[in-house]
Amino acid sequence: MSEEKVKSKDELVPIFFMGKCYEVPSSLTIQKALEYAGYQLVRGCGCRGGICGACGTVFRYPDSYKIEVGLACQTVVQPNMYIAQLPFFPGNKATYNIADLEPNGSVFTALYPELYKCIGCGTCTRSCPMDIDVLGYMSKAIRGDIEGVAKGSFDCVMCGLCSGRCPAEEVQFYIAILARRLYALHMQPRSAHLKRAINSAEEGQWTEGIAKLKAMNLDTLKKVYSEREMEPHMGPEDWIPGDTNYVNVD
Amino acid sequence: MRVHYYPGCTLKEKATNLEDSTREAMARLDTDLVEPEGWTCCGAEYPLITEKIHGLIPPVRILRQVEIEEGSKVVTTCAFCFAVLKRANKAMLDNPTLHTRVNEYLADDILIDPTTKEKRTHFESYNGDVQVLHLLEYLRDEVGLGHLKSLVKRDLSHIKVAPYYGCRLLRPQKEVAIDDPETPTIFEDFLNAIGCTVVDFPFKQECCGSYLSASMPETSNEPSYRVLNSAKMNGANVVALSCPLCYYNMDTRQDRIKEEYLEFNGFPVLYFTQLLAWALGADVETLGLDKHLCDPRPLFDIKQNAEDVEVNL
Repeated sequence: MSEEKVKSKDELVPIFFMGKCYEVPSSLTIQKALEYAGYQLVRGCGCRGGICGACGTVFRYPDSYKIEVGLACQTVVQPNMYIAQLPFFPGNKATYNIADLEPNGSVFTALYPELYKCIGCGTCTRSCPMDIDVLGYMSKAIRGDIEGVAKGSFDCVMCGLCSGRCPAEEVQFYIAILARRLYALHMQPRSAHLKRAINSAEEGQWTEGIAKLKAMNLDTLKKVYSEREMEPHMGPEDWIPGDTNYVNVD
Repeated sequence: MRVHYYPGCTLKEKATNLEDSTREAMARLDTDLVEPEGWTCCGAEYPLITEKIHGLIPPVRILRQVEIEEGSKVVTTCAFCFAVLKRANKAMLDNPTLHTRVNEYLADDILIDPTTKEKRTHFESYNGDVQVLHLLEYLRDEVGLGHLKSLVKRDLSHIKVAPYYGCRLLRPQKEVAIDDPETPTIFEDFLNAIGCTVVDFPFKQECCGSYLSASMPETSNEPSYRVLNSAKMNGANVVALSCPLCYYNMDTRQDRIKEEYLEFNGFPVLYFTQLLAWALGADVETLGLDKHLCDPRPLFDIKQNAEDVEVNL
């Protein structure tokens, strides 16, 4: 990127969207800039908060050969950037019933045999807007390490940019979510206190209390709510309220 | 002692007996094995067409990572990984064109620290400075066979071992050989140091069939059978090796060999690290002996009495 002098907040900068030039305020994200330019985003626009992965975007600066990536809702426009969005990537998605799968190391290659085509070029890692070591978790998938793939891909937003640039036509993001599903179902330690809480709820621990609350009129309910005992801001970690009728103290 | 260790994919899934026994043995030599962060498949086979540089990218990246982590050497036990890493390293030393092209490609890498999430985007050229060592070399040159001998806790003299080199530890000679390719002794010297009885046999450098077992499976029966049979005829009671593919051809596929050679009724095959860990006092459970098709457990009789050992041949 060329060295631009610092722009004032409302200064207009040129960007190129699908080859056409638009003047947009320099402080906008790519997503807001497109809307400013008159585009109505129906697809390729989800949470607007950098989590859903719907707005995967590729762009390039005019004095560089490098293709850059980002989420449109998180990337602020730069002067003269060339932009194209990738709202959906038609990657090969295996059909499976997760409950029928065995959590063993060959599950990845059974469902995605093209995994072995990986040549280790690392373009996937270079294409990840979430800074995930995609090649790292793909390597773990090749050696059957479900936990490694699940943890290594935890931040994946399923934008598909990795797959879009892969010379071996891998579907990294689908392999990653398969690993996280398997890990969650078969390998992640179960929470013991959750099980106890569900049991005690089923045994009627809250029945009486809830019935009492339900019987209150709105004003009483509001009063009870606003006068409830609150956890102090700097309270100790093991703080519990005096009235434990509505709190599971485990 | 801390040393970088490249296990390779096979050791993490199929050849866990090689991985586990290596770790067990090295722990007993007070050596911490450190895997380079984010290691990938090495490629398994060194590219025959080096004009297409993509086969060199993963091994050079692995070696560069060792250097980034301030390692000066990397140890492998898989003979295939060893050959790929060593040849790629040599290419970076000897071939300026490949050095430039591979480094130019790798310069655009992004390295993400798994804990801090910090991104590294600047890389020095990798110049072939990391030393690639097979574990047998590490034991000979870094630990020292004399020192190793002094650490042996068990008598293995009843185990008559035929050391099988295969191809990848010795060839191509100028690029990988850990010893003289025609009359190697490194494996024999190692076995002598840990107290085994070494059996010389004429097929120790012959091919086991290699990847033929993937493309034309039955074709690898004959070469593997010849190796096993030669070891047996020369009085060995086990073959030792370092390569997961040789192991696959000679142990995992033994049922197929038996189908073709009716007089053959099985012969145990061990990784050299299983003997090493055993000699150094490891528990028999740590050696992964239950994974073998031909059960080698009779050799590991804890009574250590030659008379008690009956190998089911």
